[in-house]
This record gives sequence, C-alpha cells and structure tokens, in this order.
Amino acid sequence: MAPPNISRRGLLQLGGSVALLMTTGACAAGSKDNPDAGASAGPAAGTLRIAVSSYLSSWDQDFVGFDLTALMLFKNVYPYMIDYGVTSAGDSQILDTANITPTFAESFEPDATQKVWTLKLRKGVKFASGNEMKAADVKWSKDRAFAAQANVAGVYRTIGLTKPEQVVVVDDYTVEFRQEFPSALTRQIQAISLYVFDSAEAKKHATEADPWAKEWFAKNAPTGGYFNVTKANQGQEIELSANTGYPGPDGAKTSTIRLSVVPAAANQRLQLQAGDIDIALGITGQDLQDLKKAEGVKVLSAASNNQVAIQMSVTTAPFDDVNVRKALAYAVPYEQIVKNVYGGDARPTKSLVPLDMPGYSESGYPYTYDLDKAKQALAASGKTAVSSELVFEADNAEQQKIAVQVQAEAAKAGITLKLTPLDPATLGERRTRKSIPLQITTGQLWVNDVEYMLATSFVKGAALNYSNYTNPEIEQIYTKAHTTVDETARRQLWTQVQSILAADVPWVVICQPNFNLPVREKVAGWVQPMDGLARLRYLSASA
Amino acid sequence: MRILRFVGRRLLQLIPVLLGVVVLTFLLVRVLPGDPIRSILGPNATEADADAARARFGLDQPLWKQFLDYLGGLVSGDFGTSIQSGAPVTGEMALRLGPTLELVFLAVTIAVLLAVRLGIWSARRADRFGDHSVRIFALLGNSVPEFWLGLVLILAGYAALGWFPAPSGRVDPDTDLTPLTGADLIDALITGNGPAVSSAAAHLVLPVLTLVIGVLAPLLRSVRASALEVLRSEAYAAAAAHGLPERTLLRGYLRRATLVRLPSLAALVFGTALGSTVLVEYVFSWQGFGQWALRGLLYRDYPVVQASVLIIAFAYVLVFLIADVVHAWLDPRVKI
Repeated sequence: MAPPNISRRGLLQLGGSVALLMTTGACAAGSKDNPDAGASAGPAAGTLRIAVSSYLSSWDQDFVGFDLTALMLFKNVYPYMIDYGVTSAGDSQILDTANITPTFAESFEPDATQKVWTLKLRKGVKFASGNEMKAADVKWSKDRAFAAQANVAGVYRTIGLTKPEQVVVVDDYTVEFRQEFPSALTRQIQAISLYVFDSAEAKKHATEADPWAKEWFAKNAPTGGYFNVTKANQGQEIELSANTGYPGPDGAKTSTIRLSVVPAAANQRLQLQAGDIDIALGITGQDLQDLKKAEGVKVLSAASNNQVAIQMSVTTAPFDDVNVRKALAYAVPYEQIVKNVYGGDARPTKSLVPLDMPGYSESGYPYTYDLDKAKQALAASGKTAVSSELVFEADNAEQQKIAVQVQAEAAKAGITLKLTPLDPATLGERRTRKSIPLQITTGQLWVNDVEYMLATSFVKGAALNYSNYTNPEIEQIYTKAHTTVDETARRQLWTQVQSILAADVPWVVICQPNFNLPVREKVAGWVQPMDGLARLRYLSASA
Repeated sequence: MRILRFVGRRLLQLIPVLLGVVVLTFLLVRVLPGDPIRSILGPNATEADADAARARFGLDQPLWKQFLDYLGGLVSGDFGTSIQSGAPVTGEMALRLGPTLELVFLAVTIAVLLAVRLGIWSARRADRFGDHSVRIFALLGNSVPEFWLGLVLILAGYAALGWFPAPSGRVDPDTDLTPLTGADLIDALITGNGPAVSSAAAHLVLPVLTLVIGVLAPLLRSVRASALEVLRSEAYAAAAAHGLPERTLLRGYLRRATLVRLPSLAALVFGTALGSTVLVEYVFSWQGFGQWALRGLLYRDYPVVQASVLIIAFAYVLVFLIADVVHAWLDPRVKI
C-alpha cells in the first residue's frame, strides 16, 4: 500500500526546502569570520560591544523615556554642563559626588548669597549639526523642561527652581539660575539636570501643535554629548561614536560603542563567553557566579549604594503599630539573605541612610536578626500573631528569594506573610495609592545626599514614600536643611534624622549588594556610578 | 465570481467584529489595575505633574470622548501616541510587525509542508517503525516548551557548533540594510543586499526551527489521521482495486482528500505561532511585535495594547477567511 520510492522522493523534497534555509543561514553565519564575505566585518579597533536588556523607550529625557536603558544612554549622549569627578574606593574607581566639575561648561559658580548660580559656556562647542552651543540653547532646554512638568521640573523644586523666568540669559555664553533659596544640593541637582538641546535644530521640527518637538525627539537622538548616536536600529542596536569636539576633561576613551539588545540573561552570558560582546549589563544571580570561573571573562565588583529594604506602611494594619514594625525588623534574617541571595557579595547596613552617603551613622540602630526580641516586640503590641501580604516585583528573582526567606523567619515570630508578586503597572498603581502594607524595594538615589533622600522618601507625599510615613520632626529638619549650606550643621541634622528613623522604623534595611559587572578580560576603566547609570566614556579595551 | 462574492461578504462581516474588538479592548485595558502615567515620571513628580502628563495624552478627558477620539484616529489610520515612547504607535507597529509576520509565516509554511509530507508518509506506513518515529517526534515537539527549546538550539547551534550567529537581533547591522517592510529577509531581497540576505536568513534559522517544532505536532497528527481515514475508505480501496497507478492514487485520491481538514487547523496553528513569538522573540532577541505588545501590556501603554489586540484580531479573521477559501477550493462538497 505504501510504495517506498515515492515517499523517499517526498522526503528528499521536504528536506531540501528546510535545508535551503538552513544552508543559507549556516553560510551566512560562517561568513562572520571571513571579512571577504562582507556580511559582518567585525568590530574595528577601539570598538566595545555592550549587551543591554532592553531598547530605550524614547530619546526624549524631558517628556518620556523613564527606563533604565534610556537613563543610562542619556548620561552619555546628552551634553551635561557639569558632571561628577572620579575617585578611588578600595580597588575600584567610583564617581565622586563631592567633586562636581565643569565639563561642557567653562564654570558654574554661585554668588555670595548662594541663590544665584552663573553658568558660563565654553566658546566654540558644537552640536553635530554644526550649530554652536549658546546660552539660548540652555534657556530653550530649561524652558522645555519646565513645560514638560516631569523629570527635571520635579527635581528642580528641591533647589528652589520652579519657573522658567528663573533661568535668565545674560549674554551669548552666560546664563543665570536664580533660586528661591540657597541650597547645598544645587551642584548635585544640576549635575543630573543641566543638559542642553540643540535648540536651533529642534525648532526646525517644532510645530504649532508640538512647540517642543516632542514627536521628533522621541525618535531622534540628541547630539553634542560625550558620544553621538551614529546608528539606531529600533529595538536592536545603537552605535555610539566618541564626540571628538568634547572640550572638557575625561573624554571618551573608546571611539565606538555598540549596544545590542539581548533580553535573556542566558544569551548575554553565552555571547560574553564567546567574545561576541565585551560587557554584559544584564546578568545577575547564578549566571554571574558561574562567569567568575569562565575563561576570558572577569567580573568587576564595586561597592554600590543600591539599597535593598522592606517598606512597611505605617498607616495600614498591622504595621501602623511601631512594635509590629520592630518585630519584623528583628525577624529578618539579614546575614542569611546576604549569604544565600547575594553569595556574600553585599554589605550589611545599620541605618536607613545608605552606606557611603555623607552623614551615615549607625548610632541608635538596634535591629539584628533576633527572634526572641521579635516575639517580645510583637507581644508589646498586644498581639500574638499578625498577618499581611508581602509584595515584590514579579520578574525580580532576587526579591523573590528574599521574600521567601523573610516569610519563613517572620512566621517563627508570629508574623504570617502571604507573598504577592506584582507586574510593574499594578505595582506602580498600588504604590501611588499607598495601599501596600509590606513591600520589598531595591534602588539607589540619584543624588547622594540625605536631604534628597528625605525629599524623595521620607517627607509627606514624597513619591518613594510608599510607607506613607510622616513625622513632624523629620518635616522640620527637612525644611531647615533646605537653606542650610554649612556642612557641619547638615551632618548634625542627619544624625537626628537617623535616630528618629531608627525609632520609628518605617523601613527594614536589609543590605547593600555590591555591583557586579561581567566583562571580557580586555575591558578596563569601569567607573562605578553612584546613581547606577553607567558612564561609558571611561571604558576602554586593550587590543 | 462566487468566491469573490464570498470574500466580499466576509470582509463586510469583519467590520462589526473589529468594532467589537475595538470597544472591548478600549474598556478592558482601562479596567486593568495600573497607571501608565506614573511609569514615565520621575520620583520627584507631584500629582500636578501627573495630571499634566495625563492631559498631554488626553487621559484627562471623559471616557466617551477618549473613545471617540480613538475611533476618529483609527478611521484615518492613526493608532495614537505611545505613552512609553511618545512616538506614534502606527510607525512603531509598522517596524515591529514585519519581523514577526516573517517569522510566523515562514514557520507555519514550513510546518504545513512538513506536516503534509510526513503525515501522508507516516499514514502509508501505519504501525511500522517510520510511523512510530514520526509519532514520537510529534509527541516530543508538542511537549517541549518553546522557551527551553530555543535555548537548547542556541546552545547547540551557536555556542557549541558555531554554525549560526549570536542570538542578538535579526540581521547584522554592518550590512546596512534599508528597512522597507520591517521583514529583514524580504527587505534584503527587495534591495538586492546580498550580505543582508544571508545574514537575515542565518538569524532566521533557529527561531523558525523553534516555532516549527512547536507547531508541527498538531498538524502532523491531523494529516496522518486524515490520510489513514482516506486510505481505509471504500473509494480509495475501489480505486486501488481497479489498478490505478500509485501516482494517480496518491495525487488524485489520497493527498487532496487528506488536505481538506488542514486549512482550518493551519489557521488555528497560525494563531498559536503568533502567541508563541512572545517567548521566541525574547530568547532570540528578536524585538518584534510580540515583545512590543508585551511591554505595552506590562506598562499599560493603552494605545499600544489597543493597537496590538486589534491587529492580532484582524490577522486571525483574515487567516480564517483564507483558510475557508482554500477549504472550499479543496473540497467540492463545500458551497460558498
């Protein structure tokens, strides 16, 4: 019934059609090592290849573009007038938040009242269009930021800049920033906010309906930074070329940097081992541990101010009772988490102020893993058992492991936790509504200063104050800190802040994991950013 | 002429179906918990800042007004502005749709061809070694998750053998391919860019293979079952008894009758493949429609979710229409 000759031919035809695609593919792949084939000539000298987990959402830093890849790219392609210096910390180089120097600008200095800051631009600095960077560009850029009412406008409030009229053009190369009050934060805030658009180019793409050229900037990269974007293949790869016209110190060490989007960490690992990428900016956990033993790869480690904590809602039962909050603070297995989740590669911390932040103090912070004290604290609240949900990010394996370990130990103290992973949008919405009784948070502040920490996390209505925490003393200290520029006086305020927060314990601070970056052995020059956003200009590769 | 009338009628029926999808998606995406605006604002943003951002995207308007604006935009081909990127959704979608459709069409086409060949071959050797091998292969293909299979193929084809390029994108950027349709292989062919043709083909092999293995099993089993039914039918037995040549028996009696069920199943499989691309695109860094739609959903980017659901619905309806026409052409008993 089944003649074998026909079936064999059929099979051959079948195999042929599949093989055609396979062969074309295999030939092309093979051509990769052969420059004559033309498909892939490979990187030129002075090229670094970096894998990132996602493509940036937008090139527009003012109106949208609030994802990690975008924020990191912005630091490298927007011309920032002033920037952090670099200092050593042990074996590693880190950004020096205490030393902010002019880069594209010639100077940025205050007057005697420290309310008026004068920005002087260097002459002859040009955008990729050939237009010279002038005071009018700074003014247009800051007007745009205020109009956007988003990122920069928000952060400017902390230094008393709330209206476009406070940014005044003095002459072609001079701009004044007239703050409502003097602030010790000005340099740090401007280091992350004072970037400039090519306004002459932007105006060509502005319309009556879109005066700030939002639509154009969403798709077109800005120019004039440490690097210019020479190619951007939507969703796949971005090629950066060093800006040879950069006039300041610490220009780009590598002429070309190619960022390719590789979402799966396992693939980043394979490509790093194979030498197809030089730096993997998306590998964590076990892959990272395994890469420490891989040939041709090294894992750079640097102290980081990334803080892992559990925020407790002080307005939601049962954590509206300070004794229940203390009970949880004693029930968290700190050392076990450092060992099991981070393989020992994290620093324990004993304050709600991050380690390495000026003013950090451990005095008055009593919380260590102690189940007896946890039970005593719970008893002091008049309860023998409490329950709550513990929320964490759904796609965050580290947070999940922490949640499981906290759940197990808290149960021994009488605190029953139901683990609730949430997707980004639901988590964001519930955080806005302040309706999460207990949640794990991971993050680092863009400005390494306690005043900024209070502004974002501990004063009434602060966006990162998921605990809904308020304390009149903290509010007073924050208000006073606004206009206190003397460093000694500020340190005294920070000591008070830490005592109050230790007593109120709105957060349980678990640890500060070190930053680990797997790279090929030839890669050098990594500078650990205190805001978590890589400065690519320091990176280089030996031949 | 009859077929044209049928197609015209079905296309008209598309309008209420798609309108229903538009209304449902518009409402459902807003019922989901999550605020798309907060995800584009910094930690220092106040409620006033959030309100300003809502106004920029028209989300401060009453729901009926937002819907009418959306509907008005759809009529002129405007799917709105992405909240995450600030760019028009139509342009973003055009860039993402091509690569995914290329992937899915190639995979489903290869899977259908393989299923027809192997299914009939297997049925003619029922309960023999070849038949058992095919059935076990189909079972395995059905059982293996695409995510895992993709990683295994990458380990073997890229890391161990080095036959295929790194799973990082869809075409080597150095080939300077000019995007036209977004489907890289087609663009490379249209523009006559030789290096891009081979690079795009090389990048396609492993993801296509992953999808083919994933969707082949149901097709194969269906074709084999149909072929067995035909082989055991009285009509086929009579034809064979009259001594018709094997070639005639195969082409005239077995193949056409076997294929009758296939179009509807292929259309279903097309939908499965479209869904599977979310994971396949993730594993192979493909950055196509699936990843774009998933990101839109995770961040509640309303215009992106609305556009992607509408396009998927449209693709489904269109593919089933094609399946019905092919079915009618294969089976003379079907009247259209």
